[in-house]
Amino acid sequence: MGEAIVITSGKGGVGKTTSSANLGTALALQGKKVCLVDTDIGLRNLDVILGLENRIIYDLVDVIEGRCRIQQALVKDKRFEDRLFLLPAAQTTDKNAVTPEQMKDLITELKRDYDYILIDCPAGIEQGYKNAVAGADRAIVVTTPEISAVRDADRIIGLLEQEDIEPPKLIINRIRRNLINSGDTLDVNDITSHLSIDLLGIVLDDENVISSSNRGEPVVMDPNNPAALGYRNIARRILGESVPLMSVDTGKPGFFSKLKLLFTK
Amino acid sequence: MSKQQVVTIKGTKDGLILRLDDQCAYSDLLEELGKKAQDPGLEGAVEVQIHTGSRYCSDQAAKEIIQIVQSAGHLRVSKIQSDVITMEECNQRVQERQSETYIGIVRSGQEVRAKGDLVVIGDVNPNGHVSAAGSIYILGRLKGKAHAGNAGNREAVIAASWLEATHLMIADQMETMTDELAILSEHPEMECAYLHTNGVIAIDRLQDLRLLRPGLSTFKGGC
Repeated sequence: MGEAIVITSGKGGVGKTTSSANLGTALALQGKKVCLVDTDIGLRNLDVILGLENRIIYDLVDVIEGRCRIQQALVKDKRFEDRLFLLPAAQTTDKNAVTPEQMKDLITELKRDYDYILIDCPAGIEQGYKNAVAGADRAIVVTTPEISAVRDADRIIGLLEQEDIEPPKLIINRIRRNLINSGDTLDVNDITSHLSIDLLGIVLDDENVISSSNRGEPVVMDPNNPAALGYRNIARRILGESVPLMSVDTGKPGFFSKLKLLFTK
Repeated sequence: MSKQQVVTIKGTKDGLILRLDDQCAYSDLLEELGKKAQDPGLEGAVEVQIHTGSRYCSDQAAKEIIQIVQSAGHLRVSKIQSDVITMEECNQRVQERQSETYIGIVRSGQEVRAKGDLVVIGDVNPNGHVSAAGSIYILGRLKGKAHAGNAGNREAVIAASWLEATHLMIADQMETMTDELAILSEHPEMECAYLHTNGVIAIDRLQDLRLLRPGLSTFKGGC
């Protein structure tokens, strides 16, 4: 019996879909059997980021309305043998085509065959959000170090805490070292103390995330990329390993750290 | 009709007290009251207190009594006092005196309401809303909206370990926290907001609360 994890944020554009694609890929790289479910009906993207767009035949709404079996709608990612699958969202209808009960049944069925089901949630707190959360056992909240994203994360955490699921965990995405070091943006501590939930991991901002998404291959497949490392660490934490948090500092050592270095030598 | 007096008049230095019999019929009482009020023996403008004893007086009845007493022109009712209240009123009063405790974070979009005082153990995040008929005490950061005395209690206060609210409301007054006030809260000092006698919301050190609102303390005894 697998575990269903919803990836949500409230605000749009913080990297839910990118995180879903990368975490799914990272878990598959770790040898787990993963199914990604795109619940952003009407505005699907996950298929594009995974490079599976032209292999979609049936979608989530087709399954729910009984036009096909689940197995027919699942798109296999050939790069990972039999470990990574995508259940794409429909593009021709909207979020009201599905009810939370139907979603719950669907996810329960998928949990029988997969170790992890990652549910990519649409932005907002309306029907699409309710559908995405309905079948989940755990939740991951994605935010960026911007005040607007943190506010929306706060709202969504409040809503998630009312659901019958484990307390949500946090991913801080698109961290820019230079802005944090200059103190021009919220740092990791500010955000975690404001939201007061467990931090699952941080992901540094990197241009390659965009370029590799455009090519249809999640950045996590490149082991040398700093953002990929963040996603790989998060995947290992999801699997229960304890991985230390990567440091945000890169800059030159300050006076005190030099002094400390002098004494520890 | 019995000749027993159903309305007794007693004079005090603060005015007259009309004691109404609580055993007779209400209609008899009104009739007698009418006669007494028109009594030419009473002269000049006088303040009157009415004691109804163990008779329950609905709002409607109280209005009727006041109207009859004041119809004579020279009497003014300052208060009506009764020894009995309904269960409903009693429960409401008990609730208003009670303190409710909320443990957890009041997050954006959430609202916590209390009928009496409210104690929040945890933060109130921006766009979170706490509201109480009594006072609000927060063990944590108040970064959202707080409304104390939402039923009109102007004595209510808002106290927090870190008072960084966006909006403070007490009774019908509202204060949005300006940058100027934010500078005040940079000092890590516990603060409380209260309604100043000049009608605006003021913020002071929490230590001053016992001087500002001595009535809030319900602690009895000690040394």
